[in-house]
Amino acid sequence: MIPAPRNHGNSAQGLGAGLVVTGIFIVPLVLGPFWQYLIANILLLSLFSLSFNLLFGMTGYLSFGHAAFYATGAYVTGMLLLADFSLIVSVALGTAAAGVLAVILGFFCVRHTKVYFSLLTLALGMMIHAIVWKWTSVTGGDDGLVGIMRGSIKIPGVFEISLNSLSHYYYFLAALCLLGIYILYRIVKSPFGLVLNGLRENYGRVEFAGIPIRQYLQVTFFIAGLFAGLAGSLMAPLEKTVAPSVAHWTKSAEPVMASLIGGPFTFAGPIVGALAFIGLKELVVRFTDYWLMVFGIVLMVVVLGFRGGIVGFINDHLRERRRLALREHP
Amino acid sequence: MKKKGGDGRRLSGLNRREFLKASAGALGVGAALIGGGIGFPAIARAAKGKVKNPIKIACQGVASGPLGNNGDFMNKGALLAVEEINGKGGILGSKIEFNFRDDESKVDVAIKNARYFVDTWDADFLIGIDSSGVALALGQIMPDLNRILIVTHGSTNKYNEEIVFKKGIKQCFRSSVPLYQDACAGALVAKDFPAKQWAAILPDYEYGHTSWKLFKQTLKTLRPDVEFVADSFAKSGTVDFSSHIAKVMGANPEAIFSVEWGGELVTLIKQCQLFEVYKKVKYWMAGMGGAMDVLQGLGREYPEGLWGTTRYWFLYPDNPKNKAFVDAYHKRWNNYPSHNSESAYTAVHMIKQAVEKAQTLEIKELIAAMEGMQIDRPAGPCYIRKEDHQAVYSVPWGQIKHDPKYPFPILTNLKVFPAEKYYLHPPFTQAG
Amino acid sequence: MGERLLYLAVVGLSEGMALWLVAAGLSLTFGVLRVVNFAHGSLYMLGAYLAFHFIRLFGGNYWIGFALGPIALAVVGYVMERFFFRRIYRLDDSFQLLLTFAFVLIFDDLVKFIWGPVHQSVPTPPILSGAIMVVGRPFPAFGLFIIVVGTAAGFALWYLIERTGWGALVQATATDREMASVVGVNVPRLYTGVFMFGAWLAGLGGVLAVPMRSLAPGMGESIIIEAFVVVVIGGLGSLRGAFIGAVLLGMFHAFGVTYLPVFELALAYVTMAIVLIIRPWGMFGVRE
Repeated sequence: MIPAPRNHGNSAQGLGAGLVVTGIFIVPLVLGPFWQYLIANILLLSLFSLSFNLLFGMTGYLSFGHAAFYATGAYVTGMLLLADFSLIVSVALGTAAAGVLAVILGFFCVRHTKVYFSLLTLALGMMIHAIVWKWTSVTGGDDGLVGIMRGSIKIPGVFEISLNSLSHYYYFLAALCLLGIYILYRIVKSPFGLVLNGLRENYGRVEFAGIPIRQYLQVTFFIAGLFAGLAGSLMAPLEKTVAPSVAHWTKSAEPVMASLIGGPFTFAGPIVGALAFIGLKELVVRFTDYWLMVFGIVLMVVVLGFRGGIVGFINDHLRERRRLALREHP
Repeated sequence: MKKKGGDGRRLSGLNRREFLKASAGALGVGAALIGGGIGFPAIARAAKGKVKNPIKIACQGVASGPLGNNGDFMNKGALLAVEEINGKGGILGSKIEFNFRDDESKVDVAIKNARYFVDTWDADFLIGIDSSGVALALGQIMPDLNRILIVTHGSTNKYNEEIVFKKGIKQCFRSSVPLYQDACAGALVAKDFPAKQWAAILPDYEYGHTSWKLFKQTLKTLRPDVEFVADSFAKSGTVDFSSHIAKVMGANPEAIFSVEWGGELVTLIKQCQLFEVYKKVKYWMAGMGGAMDVLQGLGREYPEGLWGTTRYWFLYPDNPKNKAFVDAYHKRWNNYPSHNSESAYTAVHMIKQAVEKAQTLEIKELIAAMEGMQIDRPAGPCYIRKEDHQAVYSVPWGQIKHDPKYPFPILTNLKVFPAEKYYLHPPFTQAG
Repeated sequence: MGERLLYLAVVGLSEGMALWLVAAGLSLTFGVLRVVNFAHGSLYMLGAYLAFHFIRLFGGNYWIGFALGPIALAVVGYVMERFFFRRIYRLDDSFQLLLTFAFVLIFDDLVKFIWGPVHQSVPTPPILSGAIMVVGRPFPAFGLFIIVVGTAAGFALWYLIERTGWGALVQATATDREMASVVGVNVPRLYTGVFMFGAWLAGLGGVLAVPMRSLAPGMGESIIIEAFVVVVIGGLGSLRGAFIGAVLLGMFHAFGVTYLPVFELALAYVTMAIVLIIRPWGMFGVRE
């Protein structure tokens, strides 16, 4: 078994992360509801994209149906909240439901080559969309679930905080998103993550080392689905509405684009990509209705020339600079 | 086995410096994108006249995809009103500032746009919305946003019956007639047809199901002898109705009812022509068959004699006010107004009237001013019902006829009923 | 009852034929170039719009659109392959998929930008505007025309691939690209040719769609999903499979709408998923 690499100095990484986290928590104190809402969406998309990229960036498997898990989390949480379950229970069960679905679907999906995997995830994702659309008695059909209340966090007898106001819910969402991101980070840096990374670089060699690839992929699929489900679960009380579009392939395309734009080969990439994606869309939509074309062009540019995304680009640049610097001062 | 190279990149174990710089750089990029393009500090507006200046009205509609021209008609109708009003001095001396966004018929997009409008752009009023589902979802969050929302198209009766009447969300209003026009007024027209065996081809979502249900209920009461022999629900985005037509025609109906709309109705009618449906079926009723986009989409291919209605027919009523509106619209946009145009136009005028009456932008007082409001709109005399904030006015059903005066077919042989006769009434416990 | 079934079968056949042309191009592109082209539906849409444009330009003459539309698409195909796809063949499959997806986004808005969001429509050509009696019920003459064209295209494709020199080259390259290049096949040029041909087929599908359906931006998306289902059922890379798959899907739909309507929405995806799970290479596909 390959020994895990030592973590190089947590201090500076921790500092950078600490600054970002502090910034996130300061937002409701200085900025209005629109900004809280925007950053909440960026956090959700980050989590969603990171979960997607666990498959794509690390193993090379491109899932076009990832919204199925997001939607499962959203719908289950929404339905439970409408049935007056507590917020924590609803979010937990919503996430769990997505995880269960991921185990089932993962069993079928990870048996094939990458192309078939992509097509199958597309088909399964759209199947979930069809189910959600038609099952009106449970999911509300095309009207969706409306009027979801955010509920509150309570410890009986001790305290109860209502999360109905946006800023309160924002803290709850931010805390859980960051926790999710942190857990994913630990997974990526673990020996398990190393194996996954190896899969993308050299499938054959990993196989040769005797590692049961199928099982690794299934576990990865499960984790990816679970965290996508968490993102969806947190979305439902944020929007107070869940509509079938959360299961559509256009929703599945969002983490794909975010990961691509940010860079699929680093952990931070999808987070950067989520920020860029949402920021770019907000910006573009003010000037033109043709934002699809803009994104298409961005995607094309990335695929043709900047496959490492923003982070990869910056890294390359830094590497160049360092190489030049070393040459001058060896 | 073919070996396809990977990208040749390695998942770099980022060392601390790179990570720090990368995230700082990325945050910088993201923040620049967001901050640079978006944030202008909210400028404190000097109070000019009695209310703040400018008054901001934000509008959303479907501007992309097969239903894309709905948003376009809506935008143009509203703009016409805004320009007219601003040209005459605005509302109580304040100019109107108008903004339009595509909601893509998606709930999450519409909600995000609405929040942007209210929180960042400082909108005072929200209007628009084509999709029923979006209308319901947006209606639900209006208490949070606390602005008046005037829906100008979305036809679900759950909007006025449940959101306003049952749940008491008073910020919601609607300026366009809901599906009562298709189902109930339609039944009033249908009762005079000799046809006994009815079938339907409908969109497979709530609007389709509810319209058919209400139509059947109403017609059966008026004509106990009718039978409903077949129906087929087509999923959203259907381009080929052949199978649905085959199913329905297999039951040999004498009459067909449909609430397909926009591009899908155009396709359906074309295909029915090709299947010679209209040779066998003498009575065809389409709830959105009189909408401008359908008339223009089919043009000379629209068979004469088919029945259709809309939410506003530009040649009815035949009075100076309506003519002036149509002429002004035509002059400004080189086209004829659709129901979306008139409804958005009216929504803006509703706002003007309400603000002038209430002399303030306080929500409670605006709501009070709008309830029961009488408004003389291009579509004719109209009032806003107090209990469910629904605009009550009559729209005709008519038969298609090609008229050399216009580059599209028009509705003739108009059948109009007093709106109270076919609208459902609070407390909405039984279909009227 | 038998008559009714026969009638529904004809309806299904005509629905399937329109789909077959798009699926054929998709299957060909995958079989030879190993690229899963999401943008194939957009090519179909472009074909429809360009044909519409030519028809309007030449005074409503459908046949001019019929001739010029697919040719215009072949040109588009040339540009796409030569200047974009050629750069990424050596890359991971996923990146190729993403490039095709980028084209989908661009084409969707491009169409809206050029022709507007309003849906367009064109009448059927006068010769084919009536209906023909099939088991006593009217069936559109144009629908029968689609069946004829689709079948003819199928036959022509079969002949082209199985019986001509060029077809042999295509098959050889599809089986083993390196070997083919070693024996002197100009593989890059062949690739371009195949892609252009696939685009031409999609264009033909679009032209056939114009008189019976209305055009709107976003029409590419609905057909690409169906085309995927067809190609998956038939087998990625198999033209014979795509033909049978298209006919099957058309029939499923026609019979499904009458007898099992509640499943209509999910039918295509369920079929696709089942095939991918049980037998991913479909009926006649290449086992990878």
